[in-house]
Amino acid sequence: MTGVEAEPGFSGREIRPASPARAVPGQPDMWVFVLFEALVFTAYFTVYVVSRSRSPGLFLESQAHLNLGVGVFNTLVLLASSWSVARCVQAARERSFRTALTNAFLTVLFGFAFLVSKVLEWAAEIRQGFTFTSNEFFSFYYFLTGIHFIHLQIGFVVLAVAVHQLWSPARRSQEAIETCATYWHTIDFLWILIFALLYVMR
Amino acid sequence: MNASAMGNVPAEPSGWHFRRIAWHWRYDEKRELWIGWWTLVVFYNLYGLLFFVVARTQPPPEPSLSPAEVVQWFDDRHRGLLYGYAVVFIVGGATAIMNATLAYSMRRMSVSRAFAYSYLVIYALATLPGMLIMGVVCTVGAMRPERDPELMRWLYDFAFLSFEGTMGVFLIGSLVWMLAILLDENGVFPKWFGYLNLCNALTEVVVAPAWIFKSGPFAWNGAIAWWINMGVFVAYTIAFLTLLRKMILREDFGSGPLPDLSTAPALAPPVSLKAAR
Repeated sequence: MTGVEAEPGFSGREIRPASPARAVPGQPDMWVFVLFEALVFTAYFTVYVVSRSRSPGLFLESQAHLNLGVGVFNTLVLLASSWSVARCVQAARERSFRTALTNAFLTVLFGFAFLVSKVLEWAAEIRQGFTFTSNEFFSFYYFLTGIHFIHLQIGFVVLAVAVHQLWSPARRSQEAIETCATYWHTIDFLWILIFALLYVMR
Repeated sequence: MNASAMGNVPAEPSGWHFRRIAWHWRYDEKRELWIGWWTLVVFYNLYGLLFFVVARTQPPPEPSLSPAEVVQWFDDRHRGLLYGYAVVFIVGGATAIMNATLAYSMRRMSVSRAFAYSYLVIYALATLPGMLIMGVVCTVGAMRPERDPELMRWLYDFAFLSFEGTMGVFLIGSLVWMLAILLDENGVFPKWFGYLNLCNALTEVVVAPAWIFKSGPFAWNGAIAWWINMGVFVAYTIAFLTLLRKMILREDFGSGPLPDLSTAPALAPPVSLKAAR
């Protein structure tokens, strides 16, 4: 991810505001990633739903041990991070880089709140004796939240690239900032689906 | 060697295939690159044929088989394992040419040589557990079917866990390639392929639970640990074979940005051609 700053379009030689002629925000290449990840996660979700339909009782009973409040908090905090990253992009478009930077840091903060609450939630589940191998539901729970957690950690690298871009007037490529925001929204998008499947679906 | 630069190259014959191949063999400046690319294509097809059809070790069987079932498993594919892996051991060395071709793409980028070197070393190591050790262990099992069933199961676990053990190599290898592509200013590959490397790396992480589970979607034959992972890997392989072909077509043996396909490259003068090689 750190590589994006070295690309010609990102070097600051080409500072351009978002033009309405562009089909998607940021690099179209990042949208390939978004689509491909959406496909891969659809496959994971399909396997989850099929497994669930084979033993609905076990899944329902195990699901009751999850803390819905934490799940709702996770979702709200990531929605807030999506909001702040969108405000960051908007501010950068209006060339208010100080506001953009503040919003980028706010996104990091929300992301960090998610990270901490997720670790605490895992710790609480493990203390209750629910581990990766406890039963099929908990395998999926740790797997889906775990793979999402890795995406989130990559997200911090991506946000660092956005901050790096915004920091110096010599860089500030709108395309790079929008590309980073696209990645961050994907984390939020995937979480909402995971939340719905693991915590809410009955 | 570089006949076209000397201006005495006959025109490429049209029509009859063998004459065209002979012409390319003699005069094509990208001959070595094409050999590398075709080695990749032939090897992947052969790999599919040998592992999936002849030896039938892929898709992998269940990890939870009993010793008696494992003996039956070896029995069912006795000849396939011995003959199939005999061919694998003969052609296995082709991986060196394949890895060199992939590393060449990184040497053509504007990035440090360290990327290509890391890639070469890491995949040279992966060939051992991922292909050769697995093959040796499977043939050891197939060679003496009368062996103690418990020992046969030991071989069976060893073979498949050795194969699974290469996941970290593919993870790091994909990340090395990703970083090189994203840092590159020569446009050797499109940036989306850099991101696709990340997708591939992330599906390698998903194989990790295969060390813990003996059944279900996370076991070594599971829907998540094997089927989805293999689906992504096949898409990734098709993408890089296509992009490598385009790279060779665009190659001008210079050191700057690669030209577009539409502005077909006029080959660089002999000096830089030699330097590039």
